[in-house]
Order: sequence, then structure tokens, then C-alpha cells
Amino acid sequence: MTGFLDYVPGSSVLHRLDPLTKLVLSLCVCISAFLTDNLIFLLVLVGMDLLLGVLGGVFQKALRLLSGLLKLSVFLFLLQVLFVRSGAVLFEYGILKITLDGLFVGARLVLRLTAATLPLQLLLSVTQLSDLSGVLVQRLFVPYKYAFTLTTAIRFIPVFAAEMSGIMEAQTARGVEFDTKNPVKKIGLLLPLCAPLLISSVGKIHESAAAAELRGFTLRTRASQSKRYAFIPADYAFLVFSLLLIAAGILF
Amino acid sequence: MIEFQNVFLRYGSGAAAVHDLSFTIPDGAFVAVIGANGAGKTTAAKLMRGLLKPTDGQVLIDGTATTALRTSELAKRIGFLFQNPDRQLCKPTVREELAFGLELLSVPGDEIQKRVDAVLEDFHFDPERSPFALSRGERQRLALASLIAVEPKTLILDEPTTGLDYRECMAVLGRVKALHEAGTTVVMVCHDMELVLDFAERVLVFSAGRLLLDGETRKVFRDTETLPKASVLPPQITRLSQRLADVLPPADTVEEMEAAIRERKGAKA
Amino acid sequence: MIEIHGLSFRYAGSDRDALQNIELTVPDGDFLGIIGPSGAGKTTLIHSVCGLVPHRRGGDFYGSVTVDGMDTVDAELTDLARVVGTVLQDVDSQMVAANVDDELRFGLENFGAPKDEIEERIVEALRAAGIEDLRDRVIGSLSGGQKQRVAIAAILALRPKILLLDEPTGELDPAVSEQIFRILREMNERFGMTVIVVEQKIMLLSSYAKTLAVLNDGQLEVAGPVREVLKESRRLEEIGVNCPRVVTLSRHIEDLTSGAIAATVEEAEAMVREVLR
Repeated sequence: MTGFLDYVPGSSVLHRLDPLTKLVLSLCVCISAFLTDNLIFLLVLVGMDLLLGVLGGVFQKALRLLSGLLKLSVFLFLLQVLFVRSGAVLFEYGILKITLDGLFVGARLVLRLTAATLPLQLLLSVTQLSDLSGVLVQRLFVPYKYAFTLTTAIRFIPVFAAEMSGIMEAQTARGVEFDTKNPVKKIGLLLPLCAPLLISSVGKIHESAAAAELRGFTLRTRASQSKRYAFIPADYAFLVFSLLLIAAGILF
Repeated sequence: MIEFQNVFLRYGSGAAAVHDLSFTIPDGAFVAVIGANGAGKTTAAKLMRGLLKPTDGQVLIDGTATTALRTSELAKRIGFLFQNPDRQLCKPTVREELAFGLELLSVPGDEIQKRVDAVLEDFHFDPERSPFALSRGERQRLALASLIAVEPKTLILDEPTTGLDYRECMAVLGRVKALHEAGTTVVMVCHDMELVLDFAERVLVFSAGRLLLDGETRKVFRDTETLPKASVLPPQITRLSQRLADVLPPADTVEEMEAAIRERKGAKA
Repeated sequence: MIEIHGLSFRYAGSDRDALQNIELTVPDGDFLGIIGPSGAGKTTLIHSVCGLVPHRRGGDFYGSVTVDGMDTVDAELTDLARVVGTVLQDVDSQMVAANVDDELRFGLENFGAPKDEIEERIVEALRAAGIEDLRDRVIGSLSGGQKQRVAIAAILALRPKILLLDEPTGELDPAVSEQIFRILREMNERFGMTVIVVEQKIMLLSSYAKTLAVLNDGQLEVAGPVREVLKESRRLEEIGVNCPRVVTLSRHIEDLTSGAIAATVEEAEAMVREVLR
């Protein structure tokens, strides 16, 4: 069982790329998705994300995220459709008014969200966190402390998620009905659980910091890293491709 | 009564976490569930409580499948004590913590008051203290107390003694024993074989998601052929007695062993 | 060698001493087990040796702790860490990397181990912990026992003179717990590493440790060679420390054995056969 942000071991071309290239590529897809207003180009970007998923052997995982995003997307889409009042009216009933603009704005938002989220997941699926922080420190001169904070935050997400589901299970055992269909009621049930989660999280972070320090964290410098990264020919191809995406984002 | 009928549980597409479990736990029993880490003990315990639903087969509680019972209905019948009490506790004071489980089950206010007071007196807790200011052992006792307030017919304990010292451990188990003597059914997942010997009447031995052995506690611990397959090492005196089988009759407790030694010594003299 | 003199410590904001006037000397090559009821100060004692107390856990510190000639109050935390390897209680939160190889690499890189030595030391540490096959695994996919061994290997790679562990078998089953202790014995016997371990399972300490220190309510109740301490089993039970059943049996039949104490089942067998001969 792997979480949706976990690294998936493999030997695909994406796995072999320099971590820096992968970082640049995923950022360029995001930027491009925000630069463009063209629905078709956004669709192309989503399609390309999925294609990259196939290339990296993590297509199933990308699909899982996509289906996870679906609920949120439907919600956001409806919100936009109902609130945008300008443009040609397609349907009107009382205060309810659906316009062409509303449909476009809603679709754009949802596609943009999808096109920009997928590459980040893809990046984490085919790149080890340590390699990511490694290139940040070695090549982009990010201070190690910041890189470590970033990767630790990502690493702790599944730990906290497990803690949260453990707490929910324990509360279910006492009779708290999390299986309720009412979302407002569910949030009301979840709020009191923040206390135990916070307490256990603070404890874990405390222990984590102590453990890292006992293993010489404060002595670490840019030169400490023993792994070196180097471009392979495919890296250059992907970098050029990334720049083309930006250009396309500006053009369309 | 808890009944497992050919129960399977698979996580995702992976191998079965538990495989073809069939057994019955009658009312009033004290059953221990033992086996190595990852053998499926906790999974089985959660299936009994309806926290997990079987992929195949069914788990029946007094004849009704867990899948057909509501969360609150299950909570009323079976109390579940987790390894880590901190996940269970969420209220600012001991009193509110004890009342919380009862409120969830819509017990009337004056009845809640009555039961909470009874439990408070019984466990000698300070009602106004914060649960988080208590020691780990005290928190485990509080978690147990909040289950007892609900007066369930069955108690399931998942490694209740992890992280507790011997005295705290005895405090928790002494209480559980008293409940059992008053008629409560107890199922305890446990790694400490000495405790299993002292408290459980029957033992279920798990290995790799399957039920390997099911029988009376002392008989199970004498099954030297099967136990190693589950990485279970019997209690010390039982092992000692097995090594001394050529000179002494079987013994499982210190007292029995002492008596056997003295008798043999006396017979020789 | 570790020398603790008149050590008292009170956490900031607490109204009682976590440790009170502790006197303890741990010679090089010892295998010391620390046991005692909850809240007795076991973790505080371990933290005083690795320097977390008082460097990172504030409070009133009296007395002195000297580790390999360094006074823990004066020395930098990282200088102490070069000598003392520490495995803290919560194994999940001390993992810094996403996979096993990087987890071991982390400390080696930080302490500036020569680059051409890193590979050799990783292989050696993995072998010592019996987890060569886990090197490329993602840490999230490991079992509790495997994670504990990774945590130990990550410390062994640093080749410390002293190894501290805080309840390393807390959530492990008896068979896996034994495996962990076998690793510790190997490090102690073959490489002369000093091992100090806080442990609730007295049966494990009875068969693996050389000396025992029993803490109660912040004070050192009794310390000495394992068998000497087990002779005090009545006192131990009074303060809430369980004794192995064979020790209780030894006590019950002491009139037949002239007071010998069997710490393990094997010793008990020999003792009973002697009695019956």
C-alpha cells in the first residue's frame, strides 16, 4: 500500500532523469497551466501529464489522484457556474442563472487545477525526496535547513495521515459516527480530534528534531552530500521541452 | 457471542491480511490472541469489533453480521481498548472523557452522571484533571474506565500492556479480570505469554493471517510442534517443565513447579 | 567510560526531580540494562548521557556526567554524538530519509566520513543489523521490527563507542525483540561497544545484559551485576518491577539450593537437576 505522494521505485526514463530536470519540467507544466487561458491547451496539458504517468509507470496512481480531485472539481465547477452572472444566458430559473461565461470559467479553473496538481504528484512518484533536496542544495544553492524542512514536511504527511485515521478509528470504536452522510456534522465530529492529533504531532516533531541533531544535522554543509548528479542526453531534451511548454502557455 | 464464518480480509489488491478464519467466542469467555507481529491478530480483533469489514465470509455478533450493525450499536455491545490510549482520549477533563462515550450513545443525563460517578469512585480518578497530564499508565486506565462506563457485554483489548510497567499492567488486568468474573466476555491480543497463562482460559494462535491453533491455554503452550511455526515461545515455567519432563511431572506455574520439586526430592530422601 | 556523579535534574516547569542524586559508573565494554516503573527517570537518564539533557531539554541540572572524558554540559551536542550513538524511543519520527540507503548515509555525510569509506561503512552496518536485503527499500514500507533495525544500523554506521537505546523493543513481539538483543550482544562482545538499553522486558535483560540499574522515582534503587540485582527480587517487586518466573522459582526453593539465582530457563534446568540429584 503506497500513499498518493510516495515514491514508486522503477527504472523508467523519468526515474533516470536528473532530479533537477524533473523539478524544472513539473514547475514548467504548472506555470504553463497558469499562463494559458485556452481550454484545449489545458486539456492537452492534462493529457500530457497522464502520458508522463504512463512513461514513469505510475499511470494508475495518477488516475487515483484524478478521481480524488473529481469531487473537489465538481464542487468548484458548480460554484463558478452559479456565481458568474455575465455572458450569454443559457438557463434561468428564479435567481438561478447559468451563463456561457460561467461554464468557461468553471471548466478553466478545474482543468488548470488538474493540470497543475498532477505534475507535482508525478515528480514525487519518480524522484526520491533525498535526491530532490540533494539537487536543491547542490545545484540551486538552497540552504540545507530549508531543503530538509521541505522534505521533512512532505515525509510527515503520511505519518500524520496514519495518526489521524488511527484517531478516527479509535473514536469510531467509542461510537462516534464518522460514517454520517452529512458533511457539516462530520466536520463537527472531526474538530475535537485536533487536540490529540496536535499533541502527538508536536511530540513527534520534537523527537524528530532531537534525533536529527544527534546524528550531526547541524554539521551538515553543501559539501556533505556524497551523491553527485549529472545530466544524461534525455535531460537536455526534457529541458528544451519544458521551455517550449512555457512558450506555448504564453502563446495560447 | 462472536462468530467468524470463513472470514477473509484483503487490503487493496494485496495478499489476504487474514485468511479463512472460522471460530466462535461464547459469552463469558476469556480468550487471548497471540502470534508474531504482522500475523493478523490486530486485524482479527478489529474484525470482531466491526472496525474492519470482511472482504469475504461474515462476522456475527449475537447472530447479526457486523456489516448490518450501526456504529453506535456496535459501541454499545463491544468496548475496544487500543494499544495507544492517546488516540482515544480527546476531552479536556477526566469527567468529560468518561461521559463522552455515554453521550454518544444517547444515555439520559442523570444516568450518565450516575455511571460516571461510580467509575470515578471505583478508579480513584480526580475528575477535574486533564487526561493529557496523566502518565501513560494512568491514561490507559482512563481509556479502560471510559469503556467500562458504557457497560459493554464484550471487551476487546489490543495489546493493553504495551508501554506500561508491571504495576500499571496488573492494575489494568486486575480490573479486566474482575469484569470477566462478573460475566464480561474478554478478548485480549497479547505478546506477554506469562500474562496469557495467568489470565486467559483459551488461546487463539495466529500465523501469517491464519488461525494455527485454538485451544485451552495450558494445552496450547504444550504444543511444542506447532508453536515455533508461529514464533511463539511458551512461558518460562512451562519451558522449564518441558526440559525436565524426564524427572518431573508437568507444571506451568511457580507454585506447581515448586511442589513437584519438593515431592520428588521427598520421595528420594 | 561514563561517570555520573550526584546527578539531579528537574524539567523546567515541573515540581519534582526527574532524577535525584544519581551515582553510576559504566565501564567500557559494559552491557547495562536500565529498568524501572513508568516515570522513574529512565529516559531522562539516557538523555543525560547523550547530552539532550540539559542541551535540548531545559531544566535545573546538578552534578556531573562525564562521557569518555567529556563533561556533557561543556561539550557540544555533536561532539558527544561522535562518541555516543543514540536510538530514541519513537522509531518513526527519527527517520530522516525516504529510503534505507539514504537513512544510513545521512549521519555519515553529516559527520564528514571520508567519501571512499561511506559505501564500506553502510554495507558493514547493514550486515551487523542483518538487513542487507533492505538497502533499497522505501522506509514507509517496512515493518516495525525492520524500522528498528534500520534505526540501529544508521547509528552503527557512525561507529560509536557507546550505544544508547530507549525501549527498542516496545512494540515488537518476543521473537523480534530477541533478534534486536542479539544484535546488541554481538556489538558488545565482538566490537567491545558499550551498550546501555532502557527496557521493560526483564526476561530479555536477564539473559543479555551484564549489569542492571533499577530506577525508582528518580533514584537509583539498586545497580550491579545481573544476578546480584535479581537476588533483590522482592525489593524489585515492591517498587513495581516484575522478575522472571525462574527467578521467583529460585527464591521459592532457596532452602534447597543455598541461595543460587537462575536468570534463564537453561540455568533453572541445571539448578533443578542439581537439586534432584
